[in-house]
Amino acid sequence: MKDLSIVLKEVGRERKDILLSILFGFIAGITAVGLFASSGYLISKAALLPPLYALTVMIALLKMFGLARAAGRYGERLYSHRATFTILSNLRTGFFEKIEPLAPGIYQKYRSGDLLSRIVGDVESLQNFFLRVYYPPIVLIIVFLSTILFTSFFSITIAIVFILGLILTGFIVPALFSWNKRGLESKVRERRGELSTEVTELLYGFRELKLYQRLEEKEQLLTKASEEYIQEQERDGIQSIFNVSVNTAISLMVSWTVLAIGAYLVVEGELDRLFLAMLVMISLTVFENATPMAALPGHLEDSRRASSRLYSVVKEQPVKTKKPKVTLLSSDALSIDFEGVSYRFEGEQRNALNRVSLSIPAGSKTAIVGPSGSGKSTLLMLLLKVLHSEGENVLIGGQPVTHINAEDIWEKANVVLQDNHFFYGTIRENLEIAREKASDEEFIQVLEKVDLSHFTLDSEVYERGENLSGGEKQRLAIARAMLKNERLWILDEPTSSIDALTEQAIYKELLSKAADDTLVLVSHRLTGLEKMDQIIVMENGEIVESGSFNELMAKQGYFYEMKRIEKSVFG
Amino acid sequence: MNELNRYAKQYKGTQLFLVLTAILTGLAILAQAYLIVIVVDRIFLQGQAFSEIVPLLGWLALALVARAGLTYASGRAGVRMAAKVKSQFRRKLLAKFAKNPIQASLQGQSGQKVSVMLDAVDEIDSYFSKYIPQVIQTSVIPLMLLIAAFSQHITTGLLMLITAPFIPLFFIIIGIKTQKKSEQQMDKMAAFSGKFLDTLQGLTTLKLFGRSAKQKESIRESSLGFRDATLDVLKVAFVSSLMLEYISMLGIGLIALELGLRLVVFESVTFFTAFFLLVIAPEFYLAIKELGSAFHTGRGSMGAAKKIIDELEENEQTVKWGSNELVVSSPPAISLDNAGFKYGEQGFELKEITTHIKPYTQAAIVGRSGSGKSTILNLLSGLVSPQTGQVLVEGQPLSEWTEDSWFRQVSYISQRPYVFAGSITENIAIGGNQEATREEIEEAAKKAGIWDLAMSLDQGFDTQVGEGGRGLSGGEKQRLAIARAFLKKPSIILFDEPTTGLDLKTEQILQQSIKELSAQATVITVAHRLHTIKHAELILFLKDGRLEAAGTHDQLVKAASEYRDMVTVQQGGETG
Repeated sequence: MKDLSIVLKEVGRERKDILLSILFGFIAGITAVGLFASSGYLISKAALLPPLYALTVMIALLKMFGLARAAGRYGERLYSHRATFTILSNLRTGFFEKIEPLAPGIYQKYRSGDLLSRIVGDVESLQNFFLRVYYPPIVLIIVFLSTILFTSFFSITIAIVFILGLILTGFIVPALFSWNKRGLESKVRERRGELSTEVTELLYGFRELKLYQRLEEKEQLLTKASEEYIQEQERDGIQSIFNVSVNTAISLMVSWTVLAIGAYLVVEGELDRLFLAMLVMISLTVFENATPMAALPGHLEDSRRASSRLYSVVKEQPVKTKKPKVTLLSSDALSIDFEGVSYRFEGEQRNALNRVSLSIPAGSKTAIVGPSGSGKSTLLMLLLKVLHSEGENVLIGGQPVTHINAEDIWEKANVVLQDNHFFYGTIRENLEIAREKASDEEFIQVLEKVDLSHFTLDSEVYERGENLSGGEKQRLAIARAMLKNERLWILDEPTSSIDALTEQAIYKELLSKAADDTLVLVSHRLTGLEKMDQIIVMENGEIVESGSFNELMAKQGYFYEMKRIEKSVFG
Repeated sequence: MNELNRYAKQYKGTQLFLVLTAILTGLAILAQAYLIVIVVDRIFLQGQAFSEIVPLLGWLALALVARAGLTYASGRAGVRMAAKVKSQFRRKLLAKFAKNPIQASLQGQSGQKVSVMLDAVDEIDSYFSKYIPQVIQTSVIPLMLLIAAFSQHITTGLLMLITAPFIPLFFIIIGIKTQKKSEQQMDKMAAFSGKFLDTLQGLTTLKLFGRSAKQKESIRESSLGFRDATLDVLKVAFVSSLMLEYISMLGIGLIALELGLRLVVFESVTFFTAFFLLVIAPEFYLAIKELGSAFHTGRGSMGAAKKIIDELEENEQTVKWGSNELVVSSPPAISLDNAGFKYGEQGFELKEITTHIKPYTQAAIVGRSGSGKSTILNLLSGLVSPQTGQVLVEGQPLSEWTEDSWFRQVSYISQRPYVFAGSITENIAIGGNQEATREEIEEAAKKAGIWDLAMSLDQGFDTQVGEGGRGLSGGEKQRLAIARAFLKKPSIILFDEPTTGLDLKTEQILQQSIKELSAQATVITVAHRLHTIKHAELILFLKDGRLEAAGTHDQLVKAASEYRDMVTVQQGGETG
């Protein structure tokens, strides 16, 4: 519920549209009551053969109510939707404000590709919070209170019946049913999860299932999972129908009570007979407003779940830089040291890095190699303060990173990640991210260096760079790093999708540009490493060996073996 | 729509039941109106005593409860029907998918099929649970109310009859006008969500370049821009429902006016008649309006149904099996006789492959990517059937052996072995033909070099892997697949060698294990390692879907220049 209060706060900011939604909702609700009340009164009055003019007034009133009701409904819809979309916009920006200080560390921590699309979906689903949970009960209560007030002029007893009816159909019954439904719905979700696993395994694991003759078994499991899921859906669906029917029955019975009591009161002479039809018509109409209340707990629960999932992501505090704060000098090439660094991802049993010690002198060129999952990228992430290790054992320029602002490190580094992001726009816009005030010539020059001269600066880039090939994306990312031109180069498999010839040319450019700078290159491939000062070989989170290319080849150890295998692997 | 209707027609009983409940609901509405009116009439005009209306109140209570009960009955019937149809669709899809999704997975369509089986089937629900019951109600109830109105007062009946068609007419006009626009808007909405996602995904890049602060404003702006665009479309929809309200209001107003005038001026109707008509008029318009919203839900289902039916009607080649039991004590001889296979109409084609693989042969399939290597492996495994020529096992077409007896002989170690949700033990046990004992499983794990890995985990062999469990690296998955093969002890091993270097340990294990397994089996490898092809007794060199040359390494180096180029370039290691 606490997370929902954040949403509540965002909702509260759209005061004007909320008030307008409530106002028009009220108009629509109360005029509907007025419409039916006046038509009941009109008929009764007419039956008593009044003068025609009395009738004319009533008919005019009737028409007015009808028009006002339709207009009110229109206004309510318009303003409530406008409020909803504004609120969604507030939620998006609000959420962005919260996740921004935590990125990119938070993405690494969850390591799940669907985290972000889940966030987007959760924000979307919160639109029902205002539209179905927040303001309709307010409108309902105001309409009811006004109706009850109006009714009390004619009969206190009937007003009391209305109050009881409201409490029953608007609150008690929905609350009871939602309590009962919560269990059913979570079972539906559970069964869906089970079915989803079975379907995925059948389709993706088909070959294994077929060859190991487990297909029939799987088919039976899947059919069973599907039947159970459908059964739970059915149970849930029937329960919903039952709830709606019971609520309808109760509201109809309230109208019945109004009729019975009204009739009794008329006979007893405590109620003017002229108003009997009117009160019955009011009762039949006003309880129509209470019906949506039955769906409210469900929407509330959905919103609660969405908001708690959403805000659980951004719950943690950003890691603070320790004092005394140190600022890196941009004129210096920086040295890097790891002193027995271990790191374990949350929820995993094994260390991704295990007591890693290494030393990269200022201005040297280092390659880190090893099979996937050996901890190469984790090492870089710790260096960039995207991930945080305990202790003060990661040092840049001789200073522990815990005392350096992450932004400071990023500012001083030219980084190419494995997965670089490109935004919808032009090549120029995507390059400007690295250096805002560069001339077109500079941009064109750097494009030439990375062999991308077939693009112009105005060439279009789609979202996520979808219209670029893997190699083009990597080259564009390298171009950005070159433009930034700081003195620390951190490159995580920058050329994995680039052919060997181009790769060589780009390495040459990079090394000449970074001649006096510190450069750390993570590579999956073992080609082109001859010029490196140091090669660090990792496996299972540990450093297996290190040394120059020639040293490692002479040693005939792990690197030598890997090189031998790589040579013998066909593309 | 017609497609789903066809399914609905199977449930004649349910439909009949729904018509019956609709008629009874109509009667309940009429009874409700009649009884309320008569009670008011007797109290109001005739001044009867309360005791005289008590039985009427009793009947009224019954009618009200009946109305709610009928809502329940009809809703329940709809939900039940939906459940049955969903189950039917899912079984059909399963039958279809279980036959041969290997081609789909080769074309990367597995994800789409998962979504059809899960989501599309679910989306059909509302057609049967909501749309059909509503259509039946709307075609029955307004008609009954109209008849009742005519029976009481012809002018009112005429007013209803004239105004009512405007509601569906308006729906149609507005629907045509807005549908396209609102569909465009839906696309826009998806694109907009995409943009928010884009910014979130790009946050790492933005932060590394110190540019994230600006993005907040751009999210807000595009969010609000999207809001305004959406509201423009929604406004049209809101105006249309405004018009519908006006039509029904106008209808009710006209009826009230007409009745009031007759009551007062002409005194040609009674209070009873007037009041009765005034109560049923809103019910009449409401029932017609509800069809519109039901139609909306129905349309979503129709889109989903189309997806399912497309999937069901897609042509797929199924694999045929025979009735002969393949019983062998040593690996069976395998040959390809002019075998060919083509993916789809314009897809890649493997042509006229003829070769003979003797028992215990170490065969290697070599060629550039896209030359048809994996297709041959799929043909040899029996996962797909040749479209031309034959695969012969022990001299008989593969299709004459029973499926079971063939697959009992085969293991397939793919580049990306699938890991099922479950423990490591369960994942290895899949390889066994019968229920394997724990000892046998651990023995297989030892041979495949994953015993150490399993024991290093907190829960050992019971550690959950696969979906929702611990992730395994590529090398670990390969070793798991090897363990499956050790447990199965097959006489034919098909091996798709990894295209990239794995960790040293896995590389060593792969070599050793294949050697060990090959003592009891024929091994056919799609080879990516020089070591493998040099040791092969038979190399099949493929080019563009054809068997370019076959023989040993030495023979091919002499005879096939393209083979020689490929291998020597690799050996020279010029990329190093």
